[in-house]
Amino acid sequence: MTARIRSQPGPARVALSLALAALVFAVAAPAQNAGRAKLSSAAKATDCKACHAGKTPLPQQHPNIAGKSLGDCAACHAPGTDRALRGRMPLFHAHLLAGLTCASCHADAKKPKLVEADRCMGCHDPEKVAAKTAAMKPTNPHNSRHYGVKADCNLCHHQHEKSENYCAQCHNNFDFKVP
Amino acid sequence: MKDVQDPARRKFLTTTGAAAGAAVSALALPRGAEASGPAPLPNKWDATADVLVVGTGFAGLAAAIEARNASAEVLVIDKMPVPGGNSAINGGDFCAAGTPMQKSLGIDDSPELMAKDMLRAGLYLNYPELARTVAEQSAAALEWAQKIGAQFDRVNYQGGHSVKRAHQLVERSGSGLVSKQLEKARALGAKIEFRTKVSRLVVTKDGRIAGVETRRNYRFPNDSSGEVAFIKARRGVVLASGGFSQNIALRQMFDPRLTADFTSTNHPGATGEATVAACMAGALSTQMDWIQLGPWTSPDEKGFGYIPQFVERVVGYGVMVDPATGKRFFKETGNRKERADAIILLGHPAVILADTTNTMNMVDPGQLKGALDNGSLRKFDTLEDLAKAYDMPVGPFVEQVKRWNGFVEKKKDPELDCMIFKDAAPNVKPPYYAARLWPRVHFTMGGLAINKDARVVGLDLKPMAGLYAAGEAAGGIHGAVRLGGCSMPACVIFGRIAGQNAGKEKPWG
Repeated sequence: MTARIRSQPGPARVALSLALAALVFAVAAPAQNAGRAKLSSAAKATDCKACHAGKTPLPQQHPNIAGKSLGDCAACHAPGTDRALRGRMPLFHAHLLAGLTCASCHADAKKPKLVEADRCMGCHDPEKVAAKTAAMKPTNPHNSRHYGVKADCNLCHHQHEKSENYCAQCHNNFDFKVP
Repeated sequence: MKDVQDPARRKFLTTTGAAAGAAVSALALPRGAEASGPAPLPNKWDATADVLVVGTGFAGLAAAIEARNASAEVLVIDKMPVPGGNSAINGGDFCAAGTPMQKSLGIDDSPELMAKDMLRAGLYLNYPELARTVAEQSAAALEWAQKIGAQFDRVNYQGGHSVKRAHQLVERSGSGLVSKQLEKARALGAKIEFRTKVSRLVVTKDGRIAGVETRRNYRFPNDSSGEVAFIKARRGVVLASGGFSQNIALRQMFDPRLTADFTSTNHPGATGEATVAACMAGALSTQMDWIQLGPWTSPDEKGFGYIPQFVERVVGYGVMVDPATGKRFFKETGNRKERADAIILLGHPAVILADTTNTMNMVDPGQLKGALDNGSLRKFDTLEDLAKAYDMPVGPFVEQVKRWNGFVEKKKDPELDCMIFKDAAPNVKPPYYAARLWPRVHFTMGGLAINKDARVVGLDLKPMAGLYAAGEAAGGIHGAVRLGGCSMPACVIFGRIAGQNAGKEKPWG
């Protein structure tokens, strides 16, 4: 692929670009969806099959999670250990396991809209979040030179798709592990 | 793949295989009526403001503040989820001539000299009235920024200027001004909405700009994300939507050399769709093929990075060499275009270095640490070690540094006529700091044609009713070469002018 990117623009590519200039340039990235699961706003957090097409995504030997909450998970999946839940499931599962519902974040769970960061910050006080990560190296991800402590949570912490390290698009050594 | 560094572009490449493939996909998108021309008046407006500002950088927020000061109801939109665009990630250098800070440092400067520098570097392609406006109002614009709370604590040199006049924010980033502008705009009652992207301008039957068609809850860079919403602007629309350095297809239309090989210092959203939307509504674009490469970026870090703030502080103190010969090849204090062209001509990255004395005197400690931490800046105990690390011929390189040190003592460079500053010291104290340099696409001098009132000029060469532009979206101010530190005053000055004028326009409808 590198070779193709490096090649000089041939006549065909210039013609394409010409045609393109007549349009508002569009990037054809498909919307990321939440894997093969079909989200059900009525599902309980511990009822995997409600969304995951009748099949639980948990390993076979996993204990029954009926009636459990996020705090119970930590008994085995202790944060900071290699069994930590971070990165193992889309983040909204943690919110559901902690007792929230779809409507807690999306006002209308039937027609969910993008959640404003102010809503996140209603529970996660940005000053407190920043204080919690103040000692992180090489820098505090929650208090940036560019955007202060109130950067949109959803820059990194996506709920229904894989989270990302927004800082790393410029800062190659900010190797944050984003839950 | 290693050349493709930002996630937006990465996504788009992995989706389609290559940039050309992505172009095919874009063509195949069902675009409907969006494909050309302005939008007609909608049956229903989803929101209304007196003044609609597009963009939350220096220019957009300056416009918002002034439009509020003119008692207009103001809505500011930005397609990105973060404020400031490039303004929030720049180095925070604000050029202004004849300021109290310069006087206290004994720097003799004037708006006339600044205008002369801008025009000379711009190859006299600058619209002279616009360039002079920037120079003449620069000191007042700096004072305006200080009054709303921005703090500047040093005056830097930027290549191509006659004197030190780049007043730098204490944060060493434009975010120091953007954050104060955001606070001020909000305190004055301007509404700010992120993730709302302009798709077309709305034009009345008699040709007045009436508002914009947008996509709300837009998720960059997915053009089918969000919902269509029409926003009415009773008095005016201010486009402060930035340049197009990150739009590879568009920039290659104007400068075919700027392939994806050249990465960019810009934020990923610098893709210029609002400029294209204005053109489709009858706006004139100007000087679009003058696209600036920054000569001070390092291939050993991404984006703008830290190295520019090492390089631009040590030019006129340290030495830049071609590692193939170990010798200097271009004057370090040349303007951006001269230096970038010279490095590209080498065909490989240049190396710049300064000793501990000059580095400690000139470079901000936070920037120095950032550059050392990410590995783009390296330290060496001897010049010989430095030469070996960059595969340079040791003898000629050491000789070159000695020769340069001789010029520093005499404050004159007979070799390449580099400016040498009064406080420059010979480079003799280890460790020596060094970085590799390879240019990146940095700034699009072209954009929408504007007049002195920041009104966008139409294809009939008359100002378009209800449409203003400021900041990098406006073309012609800098001509062929924007001098470093001249974007901040240009953004603030024309942003303010646009906001003042849009705020007092007679409402339509």
